[in-house]
Amino acid sequence: MKLKIDGNYYEGNSGETLMELAKRNNINIPNLCHKKGFEGQGRCRLCMVEVKEGKKTKIVSSCVFPIKDGIEVSTNSDNILKMRKNIILLLLLRTPNNDYVKALANEYNVVPPKRYLDINLKEDCILCGLCVKACEMIGTNAISLVNRGTTKKVSTPYDDASKDCIGCGACADVCPTDAISLKDENGKRIIWNKTFDLVSCSRCGKHYTTKEAINYVNDKFNLQEETICEDCKRKLIGEKFKESYQNIY
Amino acid sequence: MSNDNESRKKILVCCGTGCIANNSYDVYLKFKDKLKDTEISVEPLIKATGCNGLCEKGPVVKIMPDEISYFKVSVNDVDEIVEKTIINGETIEKLLYFDTNEKKRIRFHKDATFYKHQHKIALRNIGEIDPLSIEDYTEREGYEALKKVLFQMKPEEVIKEIELSELRGRGGAGFPTGSKWRTCSRYDNFPKYVVCNGDEGDPGAFMDRSVMEGDPNTVIEGMVICGYAIDSHRGFLYIRDEYELARKNMQMAIDNARKNGYLGNNILNSGFDFDLEIVRGGGAFVCGESSALMASIEGNVGEPRAKYIRSVEKGLWNQPTVLNNVETWANIPPIILHGSNWFKTIGIEKNSGTKVFSLVGKVKNTGLVEVPMGTKLSTLVFDIGGGIIKDRPFKAVQTGGPSGGCIPKEHLDISLDFDSLSNIGSMMGSGGVIVMDDTTCMVDLARYYMEFLSEESCGKCTTCREGINTMLKILTNITEGKGELDDLDLLINLGETITDASLCGLGKTAPNPVLTTIQYFKDEYIDHIVNKKCTAGVCKNLTSYYIEKDICIGCGLCKRKCPADAIQGTAKEPHFINMEKCVKCGTCYNLCPTGAIKIGGAK
Amino acid sequence: MNVESNIDVRKAIEIINKYPNEKRYTLAILQDVQKEFGFIPSEIMGVVSEYLSLPLSDIYSIATFYKALSLKAKGKNIIKVCNGTACHIRGSNKLMEEVTELLNISPGETTDDGLFSIEIVNCLGACALAPVMVINGKYYGSMTKEKAKTIIDEYKGASVNE
Repeated sequence: MKLKIDGNYYEGNSGETLMELAKRNNINIPNLCHKKGFEGQGRCRLCMVEVKEGKKTKIVSSCVFPIKDGIEVSTNSDNILKMRKNIILLLLLRTPNNDYVKALANEYNVVPPKRYLDINLKEDCILCGLCVKACEMIGTNAISLVNRGTTKKVSTPYDDASKDCIGCGACADVCPTDAISLKDENGKRIIWNKTFDLVSCSRCGKHYTTKEAINYVNDKFNLQEETICEDCKRKLIGEKFKESYQNIY
Repeated sequence: MSNDNESRKKILVCCGTGCIANNSYDVYLKFKDKLKDTEISVEPLIKATGCNGLCEKGPVVKIMPDEISYFKVSVNDVDEIVEKTIINGETIEKLLYFDTNEKKRIRFHKDATFYKHQHKIALRNIGEIDPLSIEDYTEREGYEALKKVLFQMKPEEVIKEIELSELRGRGGAGFPTGSKWRTCSRYDNFPKYVVCNGDEGDPGAFMDRSVMEGDPNTVIEGMVICGYAIDSHRGFLYIRDEYELARKNMQMAIDNARKNGYLGNNILNSGFDFDLEIVRGGGAFVCGESSALMASIEGNVGEPRAKYIRSVEKGLWNQPTVLNNVETWANIPPIILHGSNWFKTIGIEKNSGTKVFSLVGKVKNTGLVEVPMGTKLSTLVFDIGGGIIKDRPFKAVQTGGPSGGCIPKEHLDISLDFDSLSNIGSMMGSGGVIVMDDTTCMVDLARYYMEFLSEESCGKCTTCREGINTMLKILTNITEGKGELDDLDLLINLGETITDASLCGLGKTAPNPVLTTIQYFKDEYIDHIVNKKCTAGVCKNLTSYYIEKDICIGCGLCKRKCPADAIQGTAKEPHFINMEKCVKCGTCYNLCPTGAIKIGGAK
Repeated sequence: MNVESNIDVRKAIEIINKYPNEKRYTLAILQDVQKEFGFIPSEIMGVVSEYLSLPLSDIYSIATFYKALSLKAKGKNIIKVCNGTACHIRGSNKLMEEVTELLNISPGETTDDGLFSIEIVNCLGACALAPVMVINGKYYGSMTKEKAKTIIDEYKGASVNE
């Protein structure tokens, strides 16, 4: 398929979304709820673009819009920029003290009306849903999107320590606004109101993950992994390569 | 025997939700008891609220074949009715309907002004049959359309007929029904599904409820016909949680239809299989949105999805699905039986057929009204509706519920059709028509709709969730006297973004009530913001009551009824309201016989 | 988390078993549990999760999304005041004020003696009788402050006599 984006032509495959095609071609369409490896969600609305199909122009979320042959896309028309600013404004009103959202607001020169800005608001979550998706993909499903409307939030059932949570921290990892509290301190990890004992790396002694996470991976893939942290794993692999080369030459 | 049936007296007691709230069931039981051993049959009948315009004037009792309609019948009237009317054929004046337009009592409701303008297609059986009796339905051409379809028409011909009729979806968007069926029929992907949207969530709308309660078989018949047309064998009826009676009646109708061979395997020996299942909603307005509805049927939360790939291609469980509204389904059997040409003679160009409107609010005759498309709004409000209660000045109507817009006086002549309504910034929606007078504050109305939508938003997308909440905050400020002129620009600006960038219809149409009230009632907004005044007397902070000394006759009625003891004065002398004690309930304003009490701004 | 000790789990299992263990029956099962217990007890949520082989977090999402379901026990008499547009225009606010004053609780709350809960609900479809109030499924139309007091007193009296 062939389509035009901001005046230039690009080739794409049937079934691809606009966002996927854009990313492949280093075209920047701002987004918060999209991540490589995750299906587009259409939650944040930051990725809205203008699409002209035949005589009709419409506004679509590029993360879920399937590309079509012959369409003309505009990612930064005046209309889109105005919309983008308003969406960032809405996010800023929700999370006025969040660094990532504030940076976005700076980038687009968004100035919120002071009387609607609650400077004491400590909210960081923009409800992008990536954490829930990550937990789902890992298979633990410990957290979910709860309630509806403005009271919607991410939490474990009853906000209690969940028996399904393995403390892997994947949710905190994918969060675009650093909204998930993951505290590693004194050999313990606290996340989603649950306290875990941290396991130390058998090579360097650093605390790196929870017993539950290790057991989960072992059970799922029928393994008996050594307790080695990521850094040491890399070093180990490096050493093995070095060995192999030395044996060859 | 059949002759006897025709001349046999029938007493039809309305048992719709409205009349039941006024104890009509007790009336029914009393009739049954009194006429136990006679030949007069007493049939309970579920009627659409307002079948005669007035479930406020219920319980409604009709006596056939005499064609006498009685209103506000209480249990104590039953004896007199039996003696005078049933046995002696005399009418009881005080129980007859008083037509406010004609200014006289009417013997049979069909002659009332309220009824004369109506043309019943979707509501053709409501008020005339016992919805739980399949015989009543078949006596009035019920299931004849299905027989015609199964034995005389090919699926392609059925689709063609619906296309030719130019029937447009009655749920709100007005999408051509035939076109929807045709597109779905083209996908070579099975199984396919047929869905009925019975989630009627628009506040002020109850036409779908009336059809489901009062004539469930017409919905069933419509859906089976569609199944045949698109090669689907399974249907779902999504009925909102709050409609218990509708679910009950629908289920009984399904059970009866199965027993009589109209549903299930090998329908009427045609070789065609089709069955239906009811799915109960969970109390979420957003589930009226088609993709959210399907998500709900699948066992998920009611979050909609972007519809770049439409449900006719990938709907329920990613299969081709036709979803239509209750009223749309109710129109299918008549169109098949009487033909698309007949249907097109009713209504206007590109808007054929009728529409059921629920006429509610500050209008004298409230209820369900089915009129041809193209009927003027003024006819609906003043002729059928009888005008504003107490003849107060008309201010606006809201059509399309929270997705629609307000229509002011200058557009009273507007034609009620899909296109005219969307051209002035409103929409047909489900057909709710809420009539407002000068005691309605348009700013408060916009705030009310935003409050409703902020609770009903599923919360998935930023613009709807945060946008509606922000508009609500701004409007609340304005109604509390904290508004600033900048707020109007902010509302319009945000409103545009919310419309363009939201994921689904709920978000996209949410700004409509705000934008249309600003467009047509800007002065009222400015009054609130600049003059800190609410002329309708609704926004408490911006309302104060005072007594015009020159008009006050000192009757003391206000003083006696004031719940806060805030009025002082001696008999026959002008009275005076103490602002400090006044709680602004408006009781005095409503009671004053001379109109001496006026509304001022914030004090 | 609620800690309830008097939940008849066997009764819940009876209810749940009436449905096939397919995801699409989640809402229907929870509706029946809600009807039986007046809310969704946390242990029952766990039972439903097991029965349907669905994560507990999914069931919890559904229980908190749909307003027909409640995580907290409701009062014996549930008073629903309609705030649909027609009722709103005909003064549902005043009706709500009166009811909340009479019972000394806010909408969404339950009285201390467990007798009454007040809810503000969306249009009930009885618009011609606005403003409307429903108690335990019984509709009361054309409501006024005086009528509200009389009706609620009746329910109070009935509870005393039980």
